[in-house]
Amino acid sequence: MKILVPTKRVPDTDQKIRVREDGLGIETANLPFVINPFDAIAVEEAIRIRESQDDVEVVAIGIGSADYEAELRTALAMGADRAILIETAENLDPWNAACILAAVVADQQPDLVLMGKQAVDDDANQTGQFLAAQLNWPQATFASQLEFNEAGLRVHRETDHGIEVIQVGLPAVVTTDLRLNEPRYASLPGILKARKKEIDHLSLAALDIEIVPRIEVLNMHSSSTSRQCVRVQDADELIDKLRSDAEVL
Amino acid sequence: MASNNTADVIVIGGGVAGLSTAMQLAQRGSRVIVIERERLANGSTGRAAGLLGQLRGTEAHTRMLMDGVEIVRELEERADVEIFVQTGSLRVAATPERAQEIKDLVAMGKSINFEIDHIAQDEVATKLPYMKTDDLIDACYCPTDGHLQPAELASAYLKVGKNAGVEYLQNCPVEKVLIEQGKAQGVETAAGTFHAPAIVNAAGPWSYLVAELAETVLPTAAIGHYYLTTRPDEQNPVDRLSPAIRDRQQRIYSRPESGGLIVGLYGEEAIQYDMDQLPVDFDMSSLKARQDDIHVALLIHATQQRFPWINERTPMTITAGIMTFTPDGKPFCGKMPGVEGLYHCSGFSGHGIVQSPTIGVIMADLVLTGQTDYDIEAIEADRYHDIAGFQQRNDIKAKCYRMHADYYGRVEGSSHE
Repeated sequence: MKILVPTKRVPDTDQKIRVREDGLGIETANLPFVINPFDAIAVEEAIRIRESQDDVEVVAIGIGSADYEAELRTALAMGADRAILIETAENLDPWNAACILAAVVADQQPDLVLMGKQAVDDDANQTGQFLAAQLNWPQATFASQLEFNEAGLRVHRETDHGIEVIQVGLPAVVTTDLRLNEPRYASLPGILKARKKEIDHLSLAALDIEIVPRIEVLNMHSSSTSRQCVRVQDADELIDKLRSDAEVL
Repeated sequence: MASNNTADVIVIGGGVAGLSTAMQLAQRGSRVIVIERERLANGSTGRAAGLLGQLRGTEAHTRMLMDGVEIVRELEERADVEIFVQTGSLRVAATPERAQEIKDLVAMGKSINFEIDHIAQDEVATKLPYMKTDDLIDACYCPTDGHLQPAELASAYLKVGKNAGVEYLQNCPVEKVLIEQGKAQGVETAAGTFHAPAIVNAAGPWSYLVAELAETVLPTAAIGHYYLTTRPDEQNPVDRLSPAIRDRQQRIYSRPESGGLIVGLYGEEAIQYDMDQLPVDFDMSSLKARQDDIHVALLIHATQQRFPWINERTPMTITAGIMTFTPDGKPFCGKMPGVEGLYHCSGFSGHGIVQSPTIGVIMADLVLTGQTDYDIEAIEADRYHDIAGFQQRNDIKAKCYRMHADYYGRVEGSSHE
């Protein structure tokens, strides 16, 4: 079985993110980047599947600039067998990311695509669904438990109403939720091995893909974080402040 | 209370060193303002493991730590919080060199009537069923050791300090140290100017930058540190009073934490930080390890040698922090030639939590009377003043990194110390 794990390179969200002066992006100088945490969960799950079954290959996919190699090496150090970087300088929206992944799927012919339910930078939560639609494959989103059986995969989905259990046939697209697993830290041999592995590079031209953006970023701004706390004397003053200052009543 | 932005003493830095010093000063009647760059106790203090091993290389240092326990006991009463967890501690040796270290340590401890003794392998195995013991040549046990809970300690300093009238300013980086005719006058911050005839530099990893504001060279370097905390594991339960462990050969220490185990590594290679490269409002709690961080891999590898049930798949949290090292691993406490009224209190080299109770007393002694009953020769701030090789940042860094590498690596007794 071949498992494809698309990963996205995102800013470490524990850092203070600052919007660029032109308002069209964020300051990236000195900003640490990581594998999207939901994608790291997908990498971990793929490795666990390989550890529990024979003949499983785990291929990590990245889309972006050459800097991305660092995060793909993280996936390799954790235990992915190989990695492919689709090189592009374009700012991708979820639809275009899905178009590229669909082309990679056509090229690699995996049995399963395992990816994060969303990336923590734009929180779009669309790429997995778009990809399944483009491939006309079954999809199981927000997976918190996977179980292989004769008919394919039994997936526990985390929904707002509780756990939903569904069955999908393979090949399929599965997107991972937070509680599926806890990604491992790479072992010393894993890190050393990953340094030596080749990362395949593919161009958009080789995949015959042209990017036609569907989303244009008009402006970004930080939500205000400077709040002044005051102690009120009584309920009347509170109501007065909610009316006049906060204007919520 | 301080008023009109004027106080008797300004303490720069709201970690345990600054909070303890401020508390002691205020208890003796000083008006104190603590000025913290970010949030109180959210720097090195907030990331510390807090291991307390009282028996150190010298009697003076050992006495300081033992007195610290007394101060903590009193704080626990006053703040109604448990700070000291007396688990006892073990040192283990799997090589003849490390066994010799233990022999020397026990002899030294006994010579000053410190409670410590050799402990048989089977007894170690009984005390620590979750530790590999079949390779041990020797071990020693000290029943009065344990750890201080850093958050509880900091909150106790804060509570008692507040009651004594200390003022605390947060999110307030110091931009300038005001000096007139060689005398400290106060500091300039984003929130305005504060005046005091005495300033204590307790800025931890940032302390060398604060010293630079006063054109003083403080030879410290910032070094990153990781420890792991496992989650409770039914197969390997860790009692909350399980002894702390030090294995110098593997360069690891360990203590119980919430049913799991903390294990930290003093690696050979220092994780280097230049504090001036970090954002002014840097939040140390935002530091984290990458999934493929080599230092984490080394930590897990070393841990596995002593605790074979822990590996990279074990559910765990990695805590990342920054320590302040000095060329000899001992802190800088007191004045330096050049600026009258500026006192330094920094460079605890991974031992700030446990030294802070007594250091607060020492700093208050020095600021208020210029002297202390404690033997502070080894920790005087001016010991590298004007000494060649300790003035340039690169030299200082190299020497501090060397000390950090030697900290667990060096076989004791083999150096000329």
